[in-house]
Amino acid sequence: MPRKRTDSERAAGSTRIVRTVCDRCHCECGVFVHVRDGRAIKVEGDPHHPINEGSLCPKGLAVLQTVYHPDRILYPMKRTGQRGEGKWQRISWDEALDTVAATFKEVMEKYGPESITWSWGDAASHNTWVSKQAWLTAMNAPNHLHSDAHYCFYPVGIANRATFGEMVTSEGSPDYRNSRCMMLWGGNPVMSHPTAARDIMIGKGKGAKIIVIDPRFTETASKADLWLQVRPGADDALALSMLNVIINEELYDKEFVDTWCSGFEQLRERVQDYPPRWGSEITWVDEEEIIQAARMYATNKPASMHTRMGVCMSTNTVQTIRAISIMLAICGNLDIKGGNVFKRLPQGLRSRREIPDKELALPPEIQDKKIGAQEYPLLSGSPTLVGNFSHPPSVIHTMITGKPYPIKALWACNDLLLCLEGARETKEALMNLDFLVGSDFFMTPTLELCDVILPPATYLEREEPVESLCTVNTISARQKAIDPVGECRNEKDIDFEIIRRMGLKPPAQFQSPEEFNDYSVKGMGVTYEDFKKKGYISEPVQYKKYEEKGFNTPSGKVEIYCSLFEKYGYDPLPFYQENPETPISAPELAKEYPLMLITGGRHVVYFHAAHRQIPWLREIAPEPTLTIHPDTAMHLGIKDGDMVWIEAPKGRGRIKMKAELTEALHPRVVHAPSHWWFPEKKDPTHGCWDSNINAILSNDPPYDPIVGATPLRGCLCRVYKVQKEE
Amino acid sequence: MSKRAIMVDIDLCYGCFACEVACKQEHSLPENVNWIRVHKIGPQKVNGKLQMHFYPMQCRHCTRPPCMDACPEHAITQRRDGIVLISEERCIGCLKCAEACPFGAIECHPGTGLAGKCTLCVERIEEGKVPSCVYHCPTGALGFGDPNELMARKQKAVAQEELRNL
Repeated sequence: MPRKRTDSERAAGSTRIVRTVCDRCHCECGVFVHVRDGRAIKVEGDPHHPINEGSLCPKGLAVLQTVYHPDRILYPMKRTGQRGEGKWQRISWDEALDTVAATFKEVMEKYGPESITWSWGDAASHNTWVSKQAWLTAMNAPNHLHSDAHYCFYPVGIANRATFGEMVTSEGSPDYRNSRCMMLWGGNPVMSHPTAARDIMIGKGKGAKIIVIDPRFTETASKADLWLQVRPGADDALALSMLNVIINEELYDKEFVDTWCSGFEQLRERVQDYPPRWGSEITWVDEEEIIQAARMYATNKPASMHTRMGVCMSTNTVQTIRAISIMLAICGNLDIKGGNVFKRLPQGLRSRREIPDKELALPPEIQDKKIGAQEYPLLSGSPTLVGNFSHPPSVIHTMITGKPYPIKALWACNDLLLCLEGARETKEALMNLDFLVGSDFFMTPTLELCDVILPPATYLEREEPVESLCTVNTISARQKAIDPVGECRNEKDIDFEIIRRMGLKPPAQFQSPEEFNDYSVKGMGVTYEDFKKKGYISEPVQYKKYEEKGFNTPSGKVEIYCSLFEKYGYDPLPFYQENPETPISAPELAKEYPLMLITGGRHVVYFHAAHRQIPWLREIAPEPTLTIHPDTAMHLGIKDGDMVWIEAPKGRGRIKMKAELTEALHPRVVHAPSHWWFPEKKDPTHGCWDSNINAILSNDPPYDPIVGATPLRGCLCRVYKVQKEE
Repeated sequence: MSKRAIMVDIDLCYGCFACEVACKQEHSLPENVNWIRVHKIGPQKVNGKLQMHFYPMQCRHCTRPPCMDACPEHAITQRRDGIVLISEERCIGCLKCAEACPFGAIECHPGTGLAGKCTLCVERIEEGKVPSCVYHCPTGALGFGDPNELMARKQKAVAQEELRNL
């Protein structure tokens, strides 16, 4: 039934509309929040905002069910029972902040500042990166656990930047609307970045060809002209054989290559090892399709290219994305309309990404202590190509072994037990800590292990300048729509308070959330109050910006032969290497574990581990399902809807999911979604060992040698029916 | 008043479910009550090639609505602009309308026990807005307006596509 409006609701002017910016994923769309009597009653897309133009995804539309959820943590809490026992007591902010500050200080004095770190992974935490870095910098603490640093953005960041100085194959840069061809590699934007998917459909409406490369027949693949069902983890072989076709058939942009690229001849020689016939054997894609895709991308200019997690979770990810980056460059699609456009934020903006790296940077001798700095200098070292993150699996190992030094305290701003491979080791690591603080909206399996909980504000309850990952030129103003529910508090405010109560020095530039907001936009000639009135500022898009100063690489050129990689001892040209646990590299193991497992395909209603308790979202995707080909299922005696065990080799254990039979997958490949837990289960583990795929994935080496990625898309498993008594 | 309707362009729908949640928010619907529902068809092989389609389904505001004839309480009425509405006051929750609906578009509200369905966001359109599902649809798969105009627009787009492929 439609809710009847009361007379007071009908009265004009009783509802205030606040223009602000969503943060339920990295798209960060413009929204209008309708507020009545201090309570948000509705959220709508902002029709003028350049990122979403009025549209909004289910996550954004259901945000009020997070804000006013009966289970939301509204007050600071401290643990009263054993860790993980689920016994909590409400405390005052004063007590919480004093306890947290004093305990961090104690750990710092006893074990050194390198023993303290914080973890994060979602869009909301992106915005507290600045104040958390201020806290780390004030302590001289080098470790920063961006828990998906080794595979989310940074394989792309390193590969793109080492090649042509900019990160362009993730979100924002592909100019789908103006493309004649789009190559979407290892991602499903319909589910992961709905605004990008909308741009893809606009481009398609204008006649662009779509090529999707994915082991799954995804929503995006259903709209494609060409879908290449690549064997999981064989993307390097596919990219190299496509390069072979493009170079040998001379389909590349000769003028661009002659003027702007170095090392083309070495590449020509290298790709002779990778003809499409060979590629077909390795990738399980027809030779003809490889050739067709290469021709389609190279001959329909301008063409845009997107790479996502599917190519990032392998032990050869950086070289894979290097090959793809080179393909994009030699076809002349860099920084042109309809190609992959370089970022250019409004002039004068102090970016939330640049402040931590530049203004709050720690001295090199401190940075060099960072976990991963020696092993993965381009990820964790000083200088880095991507932003100074510790290597996540190594941090977990350090928490357990105390080597090379102890890590004893963590401020967890995400659900590490669900978001990081090797969940059982993560649990051991967290239990091993002296002090664990948590900030999240709900009592997650990770928060249940904490000592103190500091509840954060949602985006409706705070304000800040927002740099969406899905744009190259726009900054938007988030503004407060309602007062925080309960005693929740802006996380930046909490961070500055902890800095002060630890007796540390906050940065000179800004010492409160309000000061940060003004500081960030000051260079654009506005105060934050002015900026809120504008709502957003977009810098006019310009193309071929490299023509002024060259590319941001040591030689100023597109380095097909990468001088930086040569300097660090990596292969300066891309190559193919099999993942460690596949039917090709481990044929004996594959006899016992015959299926290839891919994990982590997204659903639009979830963001990582978030939203399982949101009724409007959970009902759309109520349970985790293992997707399996009907022929394979029949062979295993599995029917649609049966509960099945998914078991990994090498003693990593097994988890349960419901089988969903679909022809979307190759018969030898199964797919399991990630991050599953069950908030409705009231025991303090909240079912995080039932269906959490990260519980059976390894965080042990071998890693990608450059970025330290783990092979989560393409390891072995076996699947069998759960017996009644289990 | 000319008739207005929601038109679904399945070429543009990619199954993002925004319409479902937009509708729930607009009409404060609880779990498991949907006035618009996205149906997934496939993936299935057609002529050896995998296909998958999405189809958002809601009340069609039929020209001659079978639900209206089925209702013993005359609780369902059709406005001059074609919008079919169920009167909350008159509905007794017998759900004969739901049985009569060929699209499965009428659902029982577990709280009130009464029948409910898409109202075309009649309050929004009276304010000059489009229905919330249409407004929030990212691709324009849901269009709102005069059905003849919407059809003409689609025919033009199809013709252009065919020209391009020549």
